[in-house]
Amino acid sequence: MRDWEALVERQLNGIALDPADSAEVVAELAAHLAETCEELRKQGIGEEEAVWRALSEVDDWQKLRRSIQFARTKENVMTNRVKQFWLPSLLTLLLTMGLLMLIQVFGPHPWVVGLHDRNGWSLIPPVSVVYLPWLLALPLIGALGAFLSCRSGGSHLAVFSSILFPVLPYLVFFLMALPMILILNHQIAHHIMFSALIVGFFGWVLVPGAALLAGGLLAKFFLSRRLDSRRIVSG
Amino acid sequence: MIGPGIKRGTAELAVLSVLEAGPLHGYELARRIEQQTNGALQFTLAALYPMLYRMEQRGWIRGSWQTSQQGRRRRCYRLTAAGKAKLSPLRKEWSELFSALQRLTKVSHA
Repeated sequence: MRDWEALVERQLNGIALDPADSAEVVAELAAHLAETCEELRKQGIGEEEAVWRALSEVDDWQKLRRSIQFARTKENVMTNRVKQFWLPSLLTLLLTMGLLMLIQVFGPHPWVVGLHDRNGWSLIPPVSVVYLPWLLALPLIGALGAFLSCRSGGSHLAVFSSILFPVLPYLVFFLMALPMILILNHQIAHHIMFSALIVGFFGWVLVPGAALLAGGLLAKFFLSRRLDSRRIVSG
Repeated sequence: MIGPGIKRGTAELAVLSVLEAGPLHGYELARRIEQQTNGALQFTLAALYPMLYRMEQRGWIRGSWQTSQQGRRRRCYRLTAAGKAKLSPLRKEWSELFSALQRLTKVSHA
């Protein structure tokens, strides 16, 4: 006899309900699947086929887990949004900005750094001293955002937004600055503002965004694989 | 075949209407709706239970565990007073909508 409860429990693994509530959901869904299977068997359908047909009532278990979680929690929409989006997003933003500030305050202060290479001593801009360690830490922050959002049952969009949230203020800044720069650029000698904007956009939006995504998507990939590996394939 | 958008809108009315006749557990409820609509409305497990839980949270239906003669534990849903109160305006709304569509599209019952 198939253990439907064990199967449903594995599929709904990680559902954010209290244990009694979660057990009730598992028992109810398992009873439904068992009954569907039995009914199909009574119609003369073979066991494997009946099991397959019963299981095909659910296309996406993660989506079902989220729907049930959402429907059964007495908390309102805002609370779920807080757990799945706002909390991970604000935490990644805080860590990203806080880390940048910490590196600036407590990090090395060679505001002009001498670099000796084949051509002798040269200077590298001080921004590298602050920027590179910060950039290297971003994948970890992205991974943390993805983990927190995934753990709360966040949708793909919520996870993706949580990962990229820290670059949003920069993006807004550049989008707001663009029309002003387009107007003012011709008033300034050498017309440098537009090129500075492009460099800034790469440096503070695209590159940090890619670093956050690298860590975040990797974390999401491993978390999804962990959930998938717990799923039971029929039989 | 009725499209998914209309189905979503009618699902709550269908559940409340069927439960008006008496308490049923989830599987029975899905089969009853399917039979009574000649298969036009079909609820899979994935569609049915989140809706039932949502309706229970709103206080329209109430679930309680019962044990069948075969010893299987099942959760039976019954209509609450709030659910009964909701059913009447819902019926009226849908009736008005269908009448309006009928007038508009000149579609009549087969």
